[in-house]
Amino acid sequence: MIFEKIKRLIADELGIEEDTIELDSDLSEDLGADSLDAVELIMAIEEEFEIEIDDSSAQKIKTVQDIVDYLEDLV
Amino acid sequence: MQPLKLGTHTAPLPLVQGGMGIGVSLSKLASSVANEGGIGVLSAAGLGMLYKGSPHYEENARDGLRQEIRKTRALSSGVLGVNIMVAMTNFADLVEVAIEEEIDVIFAGAGLPLDLPKHLPKNHKTKLVPIVSSARAARIILKKWLQNYDYLPDGFVLEGPLAGGHLGFKKEQIADPSFTLETLLAEVLTVLRPFEEERKQAIPVIVAGGIYTGEDIFRFLQRGAAAVQMATRFVTTHECDADDAFKASYIQANADDIVIIDSPVGLPGRAIDNAYLEDVRQGLKHPFTCPYDCIITCKKEAAPYCITLALLQARKGNFKHGFAFAGANAYRATEVISVKTLIETLKDEYAVAAQSSDPS
Repeated sequence: MIFEKIKRLIADELGIEEDTIELDSDLSEDLGADSLDAVELIMAIEEEFEIEIDDSSAQKIKTVQDIVDYLEDLV
Repeated sequence: MQPLKLGTHTAPLPLVQGGMGIGVSLSKLASSVANEGGIGVLSAAGLGMLYKGSPHYEENARDGLRQEIRKTRALSSGVLGVNIMVAMTNFADLVEVAIEEEIDVIFAGAGLPLDLPKHLPKNHKTKLVPIVSSARAARIILKKWLQNYDYLPDGFVLEGPLAGGHLGFKKEQIADPSFTLETLLAEVLTVLRPFEEERKQAIPVIVAGGIYTGEDIFRFLQRGAAAVQMATRFVTTHECDADDAFKASYIQANADDIVIIDSPVGLPGRAIDNAYLEDVRQGLKHPFTCPYDCIITCKKEAAPYCITLALLQARKGNFKHGFAFAGANAYRATEVISVKTLIETLKDEYAVAAQSSDPS
């Protein structure tokens, strides 16, 4: 399931516990990601799913749900 | 001192004059530094407010940068750079102009210049040097540039927490000993090493923020930096492009006048305190009309003043309506001297430091 995979990636990148991550978590406000974390997370997702996320889509990503939606739209 | 090599360009001295906006490092200062063997750097910030040939800010900014590059080139055959902030809404526009004008080096900071190589034609003369404040930022840029453009940065400027103007640190990190320039340099060198080995290409690191004397230069070159970037010290030179009153504000400043402010663009910044900033703290400054939406991250609806206008007024010597950005050591300046004298002083201080550290 995409959400489970994303949870693991976010936990790894941000160094936080998986169970603190909810679908509606805001990456910066709830999970404490700074601007560099956000770019690193996008890069990790690109590697994991072997995709390329263009900048304008990447900038729209604010919450975990946004990531899941983006990836679901691809399949 | 060893020369600084950035790709195919070689500056005789390992010294970069940091770009200072708005209008503080333009053709006069940059050409003088390049003529003495350092890299002279123009600031592209706010040029659309200094050049006003057209009613359109973007066009004025492009035209201003083009004219400044040509003027500087006419005054010097040394190595010349331009500092373009990634956070500027017209960043891509100005990068295109700088490349068309065949500037030697583009320095790009205030954000991650992840797409910068996209603008550069193959084997072009212009070299690309990102400005970062952490090893993490350096690693992200390296990975992205290699992955998307097969391009290795021609160098990095590493700007520590003692720099002037906007800082790439959180407020509480500025005085934290784990964020000293020495520590950051060691971390950046560790990140770069595997990339340098894999590509068999050196990536020079230019350190910045608080470098003030020739002894400082020696110390950082010993620690593995390829060069230093200095800006504050060049303000108090005859050739600096700001008004004499701007330079005088540096000379008059005491150590406790150098303060950290919250800039409207969402970053901390280091400045020389004055009545204008006191009014801001007291909540006496009020919303302004935004002349041009110049910085992507500017919270212009909430901002008590416009940073571009305040810096522009200070640059003209009008401190009633502005204030000066400055590095942590700005208060140490005692007189305005020529760039030539400054660079000779730095060389002498460097030689003394090198001699006293040599046991033989």
